[in-house]
Amino acid sequence: MKTSQVDVLVIGGGPAGLAAAIELKKSGVNTVRVLERERVAGGVPRHSFHPGYGLRDFKQFLSGPKYAKKYVDGALSAGVVVSTLSTATHFGEKNSVQVTSPAGLETISARAIILATGARERARAARAVPGKRPAGIYTTGSLQQATYLEDLAIGSRAVIVGAEHVSFSAVMTLKHAGVKTVAMLTEKKKHETVGIVRFALGLWYRFKLMTKTEIVEVLGDKRVTGVRIRRSGVESVIACDTIVFTGNWIPDNELVRRGGFAIDSTYKSPVVSADAQIPGTSIYAIGNLVLPIKAADKCAVDARAIAKKVAASLR
Amino acid sequence: MSKKIYDVAIIGAGVVGTAIARELSKHNISIAVLDAHSDVGDGTSKANTAILHTGFDMVPGSLESKLVARGYHLLRDYARETGIAIEELGALLVAWSQEEHDNLAKLQAKAVENGYKDSVIISAADVYAREPHLGPGALGALYVPGEWIIDPWTPIVAFATQAKLNGADILLGTAVIGVTIGAHNTLHTTNGDVEAHHVINAAGLYSDEIDGVFGVKDFTVIPRRGELMVFDKLSRTLISHIILPVPSSMGKGVLVSPTVFGNIMLGPTAQNLEDKTDSGSSEDGMKFLREKGSKIAPELLDEEITAIYAGLRASTEHSDFQIRLHENKYITVGGIRSTGLTASMAIAEHVKELLVNSGLSLGAERALPAITMPNLGEAFTRPYQDEKAIADKSGYGEIICHCERATRQEVLDALESPLPPTTLGGLGRRTRAGLGRCQGFYCHSELRKLLEKK
Repeated sequence: MKTSQVDVLVIGGGPAGLAAAIELKKSGVNTVRVLERERVAGGVPRHSFHPGYGLRDFKQFLSGPKYAKKYVDGALSAGVVVSTLSTATHFGEKNSVQVTSPAGLETISARAIILATGARERARAARAVPGKRPAGIYTTGSLQQATYLEDLAIGSRAVIVGAEHVSFSAVMTLKHAGVKTVAMLTEKKKHETVGIVRFALGLWYRFKLMTKTEIVEVLGDKRVTGVRIRRSGVESVIACDTIVFTGNWIPDNELVRRGGFAIDSTYKSPVVSADAQIPGTSIYAIGNLVLPIKAADKCAVDARAIAKKVAASLR
Repeated sequence: MSKKIYDVAIIGAGVVGTAIARELSKHNISIAVLDAHSDVGDGTSKANTAILHTGFDMVPGSLESKLVARGYHLLRDYARETGIAIEELGALLVAWSQEEHDNLAKLQAKAVENGYKDSVIISAADVYAREPHLGPGALGALYVPGEWIIDPWTPIVAFATQAKLNGADILLGTAVIGVTIGAHNTLHTTNGDVEAHHVINAAGLYSDEIDGVFGVKDFTVIPRRGELMVFDKLSRTLISHIILPVPSSMGKGVLVSPTVFGNIMLGPTAQNLEDKTDSGSSEDGMKFLREKGSKIAPELLDEEITAIYAGLRASTEHSDFQIRLHENKYITVGGIRSTGLTASMAIAEHVKELLVNSGLSLGAERALPAITMPNLGEAFTRPYQDEKAIADKSGYGEIICHCERATRQEVLDALESPLPPTTLGGLGRRTRAGLGRCQGFYCHSELRKLLEKK
């Protein structure tokens, strides 16, 4: 088995991981390697085509893919080694990580390891929403992939479950795909985005925001035909052919949990110090692996600050 | 040109139909397997609870008892021979009430009547020593070391593959809608007529309807819905045995069982239905499972849910398997429930005898082609962990489904296999790709492309 050694290994090549890697190089760290399990680095923004990225870090208003590319290019020109199609499967001995890639198995040892594996939206099954399993059910992420990367036909009438910031991103994606959002449901008392976003998009796209409403059944056999909902104990049906489950984030915490590190009970993120360090280790956790959810540019800005401290600790 | 008349046509390509096809393909006779679905094992079989049953709790003296006991050994050996994942976990029938505790001795005696002598009653302390994450209140358990878990999908593909390699025709997307009984049987299907001397009905949920087509009325299939919750792989360390309920006057409970894929399964519910297509999960079902599960293993309910689904068991008004030779060289194999996976190879032997009784001349036995099936089990080395495999084909190092760690080469292998999948579901059952916690968010589009290219 191949073994190799780096100063800092970053696991996850999204905005947080790449921003940290760039900062580490700038701070004089000699060898920095980023592991990305997908074919291309860049993370979630790669398939989020609407603008809104880059305000905090680039002082620009960029689309997701442009934003992601800036980080990938930045990492490469800073001298970061970015290994794609490379999955960290588990922690090994003495600050090492076991990796699978088409080149084979590899054990990478590092003086410091930064985890930036991100978060995903809970899919329908994870929310245990009953009913059959017809086509037409998405998360915001899978909707964006299908719409922007693959140009697949989505449907005509959508119900969005969740009213977080990302839920309004789903509204814009649906609009792009020619799908009318008929309703947005949340069990909460209020939406969880910035007031102006809810106001502007609600006005612009004319959908109904239904609070204190839960989805109780997915209807439809081969294709979604509607959702059964409950509000104040009263059930009703909204006809639709598309359902998008948005937000309700869960960190991609598998490595951390398999490593036996503590997890907080609310977010299921690794328990870290104020400096993002897993206590008693030289392992750090950054970005949306540490919930609550943050915008990409916020993750990147925070990651840079952490990277400076990591670099200082290695001197 | 005269049309081919098969020696045997088998209706249904579930675990039972394919096991029969495999058994018969040891002989030089012509065989067709027909199924309405576009893949083998796409009906009731795909939602099996995946337990290799000893048959310790069957009705003593029943056909089911006999075939499960025999099938256990056949399938166990077959799995070992072909590389199908099994794990020797053992089961604990945990008693939570005095009545249940009193029933343990009866269950043990029944196991002996069924020819199973290895079960032992253990104390509460021993239960918690074995399963420290069980909820409070266990009074003791019957430990049945022979109850194991198995990959429920690969046996079906393996059976059908061997039959096909030995000359059987697997006719998918072919639903039987009628029959003309003459010198031989002509099955009218959605895909044209299929003629055969002998016909075997292994149509699962639809076996009573196929019986109807042949003018037979021995039973009615009452679809019994079983809803299941599958928990994230990170929960797997919580439970290390199959935790079974003890039957009592409080009704049948649910089981908590690890799967060979590395998850924990909770279920099934049992609800009789009218509609044979109503395989949706229900709010009540989920609520019931949460209640039961939180008592058995409270920490399990804090884990993420990977999948919820419902399967329909083809139960009938009879408690036993309904396997009968009728007139016109027609055999019904009905009333096969969740024990059907374990019993499948023994059912096949039994049906072969009935065929001989009805005049089929089989001739000498010939060897089946040796096959090695892909390992889908977590307890064994998977390609992404296998340095040699990756050196040989780099695609075994390219993880395409991150949740299940299924690789591109495994997907390609499935697509190039003698019995390739036609749907994402079929691909998932052959490789695990797309079945994990993200439910295909990362890989479905890629998998769909590979499937369509094929």
